[in-house]
Amino acid sequence: MSEELLNLKDVKKYFGLRGVPWQKAQAVRAVDGVNLVVRKGETIGLVGESGSGKSTLARVATRLLDPTQGRVEIGGKDVTRVKGRRLRPIRRRIQMVFQDPQASLNPRQSVATILSTPFRAQGLRPTRAQLVELLEQVGLAEEHLVRYPHEFSGGQRQRIGIARALSVKPDLLVCDEPVSALDVSVQAQVLNLLADLRDELGLSYVLVAHDLAVVRQVADRIAVMYLGTIVEEGPAAQVYESPAHPYTKALLSAVPVPEPGVTRDRIVLTGDVPTPIDPPSGCPFRTRCYKAEDVCATKRPVLEPVEGSTEHRAACYFPEPPPLERTQ
Amino acid sequence: MADPVLEVHDLKVTFRTENGSVPAVDGIDFAVAPGQTLAIVGESGSGKSVSSSAVIGLLPSNADVSGEVLLDGRELNGLPNDELRKIRGNDIAMVFQDALSALNPYYSVGWQVAEAYRLHHDVSKKVARRRAVEMLDKVGIPDAARRADSYPHEFSGGMRQRVVIAMALVNDPRVLIADEPTTALDVTVQAQIMRLLDDVQDEFGTALILISHDLGVVAEVADDVLVMYAGRAAERGTVRDLFFRAAHPYSLGLLGAMPRVDVPPKPRLTTIPGTPPGPGSITTGCPFQPRCAYTHLVGERCVTERPELTPRPGEGDHEAACHLGRRPEVIL
Ligand SMILES: Nc1ncnc2c1ncn2[C@@H]1O[C@H](COP(=O)(O)OP(=O)(O)OP(=O)(O)O)[C@@H](O)[C@H]1O
Ligand SMILES: Nc1ncnc2c1ncn2[C@@H]1O[C@H](COP(=O)(O)OP(=O)(O)O)[C@@H](O)[C@H]1O
Ligand code: SF4
Ligand code: SF4
Ligand SMILES: [Mg+2]
Ligand SMILES: [Mg+2]
Repeated sequence: MSEELLNLKDVKKYFGLRGVPWQKAQAVRAVDGVNLVVRKGETIGLVGESGSGKSTLARVATRLLDPTQGRVEIGGKDVTRVKGRRLRPIRRRIQMVFQDPQASLNPRQSVATILSTPFRAQGLRPTRAQLVELLEQVGLAEEHLVRYPHEFSGGQRQRIGIARALSVKPDLLVCDEPVSALDVSVQAQVLNLLADLRDELGLSYVLVAHDLAVVRQVADRIAVMYLGTIVEEGPAAQVYESPAHPYTKALLSAVPVPEPGVTRDRIVLTGDVPTPIDPPSGCPFRTRCYKAEDVCATKRPVLEPVEGSTEHRAACYFPEPPPLERTQ
Repeated sequence: MADPVLEVHDLKVTFRTENGSVPAVDGIDFAVAPGQTLAIVGESGSGKSVSSSAVIGLLPSNADVSGEVLLDGRELNGLPNDELRKIRGNDIAMVFQDALSALNPYYSVGWQVAEAYRLHHDVSKKVARRRAVEMLDKVGIPDAARRADSYPHEFSGGMRQRVVIAMALVNDPRVLIADEPTTALDVTVQAQIMRLLDDVQDEFGTALILISHDLGVVAEVADDVLVMYAGRAAERGTVRDLFFRAAHPYSLGLLGAMPRVDVPPKPRLTTIPGTPPGPGSITTGCPFQPRCAYTHLVGERCVTERPELTPRPGEGDHEAACHLGRRPEVIL
C-alpha cells in the first residue's frame, strides 16, 4: 500500500454553545468520532447533507481547527497538538482550497502577491519564474500576475485559489466545495484540471462536496457523513453501484439523472437532519431510516466490512445486501 | 399542445446604466400551457432571471421592456402598476432561490401565508388563517396548525422553501415561476420539493416555468426546454428534443459538461472553453462563436451573420440558432 498522508483517529470536534446560566452548557457535535486514512495518490470524496460536519472535518484535518478529542497524523507523525512555527512543515504538505473563490482571495492583493503568500509563510521568497509556472499549471498565464481578483471570472478565481494551494508543493489538497459556486461548463473545466494535476504531480485530494455526481467524477474512494460520523466508506464504484447504508442509498436515489424518461426508484427521506446538539441515541440515522428497528436505538453501529468486500464498510445493523457477483 | 396560459413574444430587456445600455434579454419567445412545465436553462448571466422578472413586471426602474407578455391573451407589458399588482401573486406567482429573503423574520410563517391570501381575497383574518394552515399542511409542514405560529428562523432551509411555496400557491395561481427553487438545498430536500411541485401541478393544473442550471432536474420534470445564451434563445424544443437531439453546440456542451451519478465516470468531462460573454459584448455574428468548437464546419458566417432560430428534426417545434443546419457530430 502506498504511503499514508493523513490519518484521523477517532476525531471529535465539539463547538461550545454559550447556554443561559440555568441550563446545562450545550455542545454542537459537529464531528463525532471519525476515522479516516488518505494515502498517496488517492482522491477521497467526502459527501453528506448540509451540516453533517464535512467542512469541520476538513478544517480539523488541515489543522485550521483543533480537535476536541482524537488524533491527527500527517505523514505518519502525530501533529494533533503542534502549534505556531512548528506547523509550517505540516502546512507545506497539506493545503486547503475553499468554496467561494471570491471570498477566499484578498481583493486588494495582486495575483502575484496572493501566490507569494504561502511561500512567505514558509519563510521563502518565490522567483517570478516560480509564480509563472504555478499559473501555467492551472491554465493561466504570466500576464495575469499583475491583475486583481475582481478582474477574473469565478472559474479563473478558483484556478488562482488552486495555484495558491499548489505553491508550496503539497502532497494533499483538501478542497471544500471547490466547484459548487461555478456554472456547469466552468465546473467541468476545474474538475478536469484537478484530474490533470493529480496525474502530473501525483497529488492526493480530499474533496468535500454535496454534489454526488461531481464526486463520482473524480473520487477513488467515498466517505459518507451523517451527523458528524462516517456511516459508509469504500471504493467509489462499490459505494455508488451498491450502497450498503440506507442513508447512502436514499441520498443516491435522490439525485436526478440528466436523461428524460429514466425514472429512479426514489427513497424520499422524510423529516430533517436532527440537531447535532442532541443527536439520537444509537444509530444517528434511525429517526429517518426506512429500516429502523428497536436495536437501532440501543448502541451506535460501528463501521464494519460489507459482505464480500474488505474495503467497503458501513455502520448499520441491517446493511443492504451486496450484489450477487460480489458474494460468490 | 393545449392553449398556452402564458405567452411571451420577442421579449427584450435593456438596462440603462452609467456605462451605457445593457441588453440583458435580446428577443426571446416562450409559452407554457396549463399543467405543463417549461424549463429555462443556461449559464449565469444568460438572462433567465431577468426574463422571468419581466413577465411579472418586477424589474428595477432602469429597465426598458419591450415585446408581448400575454396571460390568457391579455397583454401585461405596459399595464399600470396597480393592475399588475392584482395579477402578481394571484394569477402569476413567483418562488425565488433564496427562501430566507422572501420571508419576513418578524412575523410567524402562518401570518405571512395568510396575508398573502388576504392581499387578493376579501376575507376575515380567521378565514385567511384557516387557508394558511391548509396550505402549510399541503406543502408538507408537519403539524401545520401549530407550526403556523413559528418564525422563519425556527425552520430548516427546506421547510422555509416549503413555506415560500405555500405563499406562492395560496391564491391558486395559473402560472408559477420558480427561479432556482432548490439550488440552495440538499438533494434529499430537493427531491421532496420537486415532488411537491409535481403534485400541485397535477391537482391544480398550474403551469410551471422552472429556471434551473441542473440538467438532471430539468430532464426529470420539464416538458419543454428553452436554452438561453447571452440573452437569446440558443435552442428550444421538448425535453427529449433537447437531451436526445440537441442541435446547438452550446446545448451539446452543457450536456457533456454535466457529470452523472448513475454511470461510471468518463475519463474527462467535455468542457466549453472560456466563459459567457457579457450582455451586448458580441454584436455581430453568433454570440457563441468565441467558445464554439464547430465554427470550422461553417466558416465566415459564424463571425459575420447572427444565426436565427430555424426548425430542426424533433417532436414539435424544435428549433436551434446555429448556421450548422445539421446536428453536429459530438466532438470530445
Ligand atoms: N464555529 C461553530 N460554532 C458552532 N457550531 C458550528 C461551528 N461551525 C460549525 N458548526 C456546526 O457544526 C455542524 C457541522 O458543520 P459543517 O460546516 O462542518 O457542515 P458541512 O457538512 O460542511 O455543511 P455544508 O454542506 O452546509 O457546508 C453544523 O451543525 C454547524 O452548524
Ligand atoms: N438591474 C440591472 N442593471 C444592469 N444589468 C443587470 C441588472 N439586472 C441584471 N443585469 C444583467 O443582465 C444579465 C442577465 O441577468 P440574469 O437574468 O440575472 O441572469 P441569469 O438569471 O441567467 O443568471 C446579466 O449580465 C446581468 O448582469
Ligand atoms: S442501524 Fe438501523 S437505523 Fe441505522 S441505518 Fe441501519 S437500519 Fe437504519
Ligand atoms: S453559428 Fe457557428 S459559432 Fe454559432 S453555434 Fe453554430 S457553429 Fe457555433
Ligand atoms: Mg461545508
Ligand atoms: Mg438568475
